[in-house]
Amino acid sequence: MIAPLVKKEILSNLLSYKFIVVFLMTILLTALSMGIMYRDFDARYADYMLIRPGAGDLIALTPPNPFSVLARGLDESIGRSYEINIHDIVVRSGQKSNNLIFRFFPTPDLLYTVQVVLSLAALLFGFDQVCREREQGTLKLLLSHSVSRGELLLSKWVGNFLTLVLPFLTVFLLALLLLQLDPRFSLSWEGWLRLGLMLFLFLLYVALFLSLGILVSTLAKRAATSLVILLFLWAALVFLLPNLTTLAARQMVEVPSVRGLSEKRQQIWTREILLGIREFDPKAGQQGVASSWRRHFDVVNHEQDAMEEEYRHRFGRLVSVAKSLNRLSPVASFVYGVNAVAGTGIEEESRYKEEVLRYKNRVYKGLMDKSMLGKEASFSAFHYRYRSLGETFREGLWFDLFWLALFTFLFVVASAVAFLRYDVR
Amino acid sequence: MMKTLIKKEILNHLLSFRFLVTLVLLLIVVPATVVVLSNDTLRGREEYSRRQGEIERYMEKYAHFNRVHNIVAPSSAPLPFHALIRGISAEINQEEFDNDPLPQVFPLTDFTWIINVLMSLAALIFSYDSLCGEREEGTLKLLLSHSVSRASVVFSKLVGGLIALAVPLTASLLLGALWIALTAKLGWTIREWLALGVILVASLLYILFFYTLGLFLSCRHESSSSSILTALFVWVFFILVVPALSPYVASFLSPTPSRIKLDRELFRIYDTERDELGVKLTKEVRKKMQEQYPILLQRLSPEEEKRRIASDPEYSQAYKRLTEETAKAWAEANRIQGAKAEKLEKEQERKEKAQTKLSVALSLFSPLSAFTYVATELSSTGINNDDRFVFLREKWHEEFEAYRDKRMALLRAQDPQKDWWNTPVKMDDRPRFVFRELSLRERVKNAALPLFLLFLLDLVVMVAAVRSFLGYDVR
Repeated sequence: MIAPLVKKEILSNLLSYKFIVVFLMTILLTALSMGIMYRDFDARYADYMLIRPGAGDLIALTPPNPFSVLARGLDESIGRSYEINIHDIVVRSGQKSNNLIFRFFPTPDLLYTVQVVLSLAALLFGFDQVCREREQGTLKLLLSHSVSRGELLLSKWVGNFLTLVLPFLTVFLLALLLLQLDPRFSLSWEGWLRLGLMLFLFLLYVALFLSLGILVSTLAKRAATSLVILLFLWAALVFLLPNLTTLAARQMVEVPSVRGLSEKRQQIWTREILLGIREFDPKAGQQGVASSWRRHFDVVNHEQDAMEEEYRHRFGRLVSVAKSLNRLSPVASFVYGVNAVAGTGIEEESRYKEEVLRYKNRVYKGLMDKSMLGKEASFSAFHYRYRSLGETFREGLWFDLFWLALFTFLFVVASAVAFLRYDVR
Repeated sequence: MMKTLIKKEILNHLLSFRFLVTLVLLLIVVPATVVVLSNDTLRGREEYSRRQGEIERYMEKYAHFNRVHNIVAPSSAPLPFHALIRGISAEINQEEFDNDPLPQVFPLTDFTWIINVLMSLAALIFSYDSLCGEREEGTLKLLLSHSVSRASVVFSKLVGGLIALAVPLTASLLLGALWIALTAKLGWTIREWLALGVILVASLLYILFFYTLGLFLSCRHESSSSSILTALFVWVFFILVVPALSPYVASFLSPTPSRIKLDRELFRIYDTERDELGVKLTKEVRKKMQEQYPILLQRLSPEEEKRRIASDPEYSQAYKRLTEETAKAWAEANRIQGAKAEKLEKEQERKEKAQTKLSVALSLFSPLSAFTYVATELSSTGINNDDRFVFLREKWHEEFEAYRDKRMALLRAQDPQKDWWNTPVKMDDRPRFVFRELSLRERVKNAALPLFLLFLLDLVVMVAAVRSFLGYDVR
């Protein structure tokens, strides 16, 4: 009995105005977002090729992550060049840093498109599923046949999910195929696995909002009421809750400002240089002068590292508090999950920074030994290995997946319960 | 008649479910945002004065002219308006090792965001069914059977809707404003309150745009369910698509060379290339001087040279000339390379400015961007404020350099032999950086264009709405 019902749902959707609007919106925005982000990736890659460190350059730099075309996250921050000096790390960023307009508006990557637009589309599909049919009287007719309410709800869910997801899948796969023409996007099996996982998250997220839509449509008496509730719920879940809870987290965990840190760094460095110059004693001989300087540089390095560690520790706490609060809205779990899989999330960025710091300390020690012992220092080039999928799972992804699935499951169960007790008259 | 119609509209809205939801949501969100943001501002100020204190303490012990500009580099405390509008002054930092990426993941809520996203959505929800809904219910036919012109029906809907939307907004903003007024430490003056007044007017213009858009779409559709679909589609386009795409499209249309490449080029010009040029020029100078003073041809060790300068006036004279000329040669090398670098930097800056301008122009297709620019300019958290900071910083640098030169000259007069660059000296009388925001008049001037554009957009949709209602089939 389910098959004809699903077919009916799909057909009635295909013929509706709703489908045309959602279809156009999905196709247009998915294609546009992937096109724009691909060009952005291309520009950043050109930057990277230009400044790629040669042999002997003490620069930590990683090429842009191909997954950033789908979920850019913090890839731009990871892709900055970190030039290692004896006293600090000089950071340079690419061509976008000086167009302030980038800071006003969010990045239109596929993650954002799905997060905002596809969720809205899912609500538009779900909002009148039950109450509209009641208003039109077709629900009564349907249930007078030998169809169980469970079957009816299931077929509505499946039929709508398919019509919702198929246009998106088509464009997405087409875009992926086109990307395969570019050798920079040739993926290992793990890469494909990541891509599959991202797609799964996209679909799960759409399912979540579709279920929410159907749930509210079984609870509300009229389709118009259902829509108003859903639109405000959508704004709250997608924007308001994650944004406000991030602000709240900031109130709970105090983190020194970036500006304060850089002032501190300058103070430490400048002070030690001054003390070094004042201590300078030409009678001490070359060895003596060198060891005096080394003492000062060690102080700089030590104090800056301690400060950095303190900052990383506090910032880590802020991130974990913010994340826990953000997850009040499953949308946050979706965003964190996709970014984690893409390797452009906050944890990845922190890990990258730690790797840069370790590289700096290796270089520092090498340079110091060279000047002390007169031996040639040679440094292996900087290399960063992204977190493996296993690590990503252990460090929070499993929870985000579980959380999204849990919400979806709860919405489905709640709508089933509500529909079983629904007054179809 | 008009009055009755408007009253009916307002009452209709006030009793509706959507009004209730909007009111409750705004009454929670606006005050919550204000409380959190003003706490944030106060904490930022505290942190700022703590940092300034640290700088003062540092300067007392270690102030020396060689590296002091790194220590006293200008920064500004959070502005009063940050209690309501964050603008671009948020800490998104690309040039420091540490950055705070959280706002990039979830942009923080502020008043601009509430108007931009929540209120535009609410406005569409208020108006998407205002005409086709009445047609579906049959009341539109009844209404027009009375001696009411169609234009006055649309007009009363516009006025009634706008008032109904303004009520929750103003009420919630008043609560927020009360908090700000009671938090005296935020330091709001008459200037901030006036600016807020203009921002409120701009908000109403912005809301009016979306309300009228909904009205227009509701005359173009038979049923309210298809009207809301088109409305949301257009909303997505204006709110999410146009603004977010505009800087990217601008960066493709008007690309700028990579900053990193420029930095490297500058480094090369100032360092390697300058040294090569300097060495070349000094060689020429030495040759010329040796022709003039053959005495300089002798090769001497540093000790012998010192003795010679002390004992032989002729040698000393020649040596002095050589040092002078060498210094001139280096100055010339610095000047040439400096001019080269400046040209490159100017070119880069020109290209960057052009790209930013194009981004602004493209984004202005959406009323969201127009409102964002109005709000950030008036609250002095926008692009022009950023420019002003850069301008004042440059000015301060010049002042500080003049101060340094003066002090160094005085110190050298005391003891010419001493290395004053690396000696701690008192600098209590140094020029201090003070950030003064733009005056209200300047801000209004900067906000005038987007404000006018907002007004124009309102006019366009209004004309469109009235025209399509005049031809609407009310049956």
